[in-house]
Amino acid sequence: MQLRRAFNRPRRFVATFAALAAWAFAGQAHAQVAQVDVRDTLFFEPSKSSKLFVMTPAAALAVQPVEWLDVHARYEADIVTGATEPIKSGPVADVVTSATHFSDVRNQFGGGLGIVRRDAHLSVDYAYGTESDYHSNAIAVTAGTDFFQKNTQIELQYARGFDQVCTTNYQPSTAPSGRTRLDSSDRCFTKSPDRASRSVDLDTFQVGWTQAWTPVFATQMVLTGALQHGFLNNPYRSVVIAPAGQDALENHPENRARGALSLRGRYFIKPIMAAAGGGMRFYRDTWNILSETAELEFEKYITQSFRILAHGRYYHQTEALFWSDDYTGGEPATGPRGQYWSGDRELSPLSSWMLGGRALLGLQGAPGARVLGFMIRFQASGSFDLLKTNLKDFTWSGTSPDDTVAMIMSFSLRGEF
Amino acid sequence: MRKILGFLLVFAAAYGSAACATVRPEQRAVLADPTMRFEGEPGEKAATEHVLENREASFGGGSVRGGGCGCN
Repeated sequence: MQLRRAFNRPRRFVATFAALAAWAFAGQAHAQVAQVDVRDTLFFEPSKSSKLFVMTPAAALAVQPVEWLDVHARYEADIVTGATEPIKSGPVADVVTSATHFSDVRNQFGGGLGIVRRDAHLSVDYAYGTESDYHSNAIAVTAGTDFFQKNTQIELQYARGFDQVCTTNYQPSTAPSGRTRLDSSDRCFTKSPDRASRSVDLDTFQVGWTQAWTPVFATQMVLTGALQHGFLNNPYRSVVIAPAGQDALENHPENRARGALSLRGRYFIKPIMAAAGGGMRFYRDTWNILSETAELEFEKYITQSFRILAHGRYYHQTEALFWSDDYTGGEPATGPRGQYWSGDRELSPLSSWMLGGRALLGLQGAPGARVLGFMIRFQASGSFDLLKTNLKDFTWSGTSPDDTVAMIMSFSLRGEF
Repeated sequence: MRKILGFLLVFAAAYGSAACATVRPEQRAVLADPTMRFEGEPGEKAATEHVLENREASFGGGSVRGGGCGCN
């Protein structure tokens, strides 16, 4: 009851914020010992024929042995079970295949160092991922600094990925129409004569500019550029390319340059103790895909320790230049388009919307006291999102897919010691 | 080329105007609040982006670390 009265008085809110901020500032003057995060994300895509379930447990540990140094490590797994159609055909060829079941586990390990000195920070991260048909290595370097009395923050990032993907052992001289898809990940990354390993190189550059304009309003602009080179197909998917039903391994270009620009803003509404935010993203790549994304977010304190968030997102994209629903004849969009072919529905024209929310409980000990007797801070959260995709032209032999609704649930715990 | 030049001009003007923003350190209490951080809950955001990147052709433009008290 006292808490409710307090939350009806804006001046007390400001005083509370000032106290919290002072506490936060004081906290940063001393080295934090450790922060532990544990998270589990569940993804479920119901479908009559090709349902998909992914569980992603993750754990992270960050240690700050001295005030200016941060050492962190993390582990994450993707445990995937589901079914997918291995051969894509359109309505003209009308080759019907049943979905095949699969399961796989991806393990990813990562770690790095971060240094903070006065107005600048620098961090280096490395991650290694392994699964039965894919190995990935990624290194990222991030540097940032503050300007104009710390109201302007600039952050630069460069990331380099060196990946290996398992495929059938076709020769480079083999015509794309003669290449076959993988039927399983058995014997991948061995010396088996029917398997090969192909490279995927990824370079990503990013610059972010965050600006505080008033005590309650800030904006951010993020510009991303990425280059991909190598085997950019799905090794398991083939596409029907002849009216008689002949199929061949998906054949995408070996190079792709991608660019995205995001603009977003956040405004804190003191009388109701809530933050409202919105943003737009514009994307384009050399496969001629253009997309726009709009996002809205609203997060409100219910009590000092408990807050809820609601957000919505709308996304729209055009198709890749070479995408067609049927490569066997007819006119676009049901006819061949150049030398490439794809069964990837993510390259087809589509739109999607996502709605979701999160509840978060955050507790912090008063000066000299600890949460539950041993934690400086404790945080628990749970979230739920619903994602609906509208595929404009993509079909399985003329039938629209039924796996276009996905649910994402996430639970996390965090403790600072 | 005109589009790029136009973007650079707008960017330069916006960046120049950033110098005029004068939020004093003692006024940053609200900006330091977790609800005002663009990166939000990084673990949750990364999980959602992982899902979306496997459902859509687009990539990039995600939130970067920013906002907050700027008190380091």
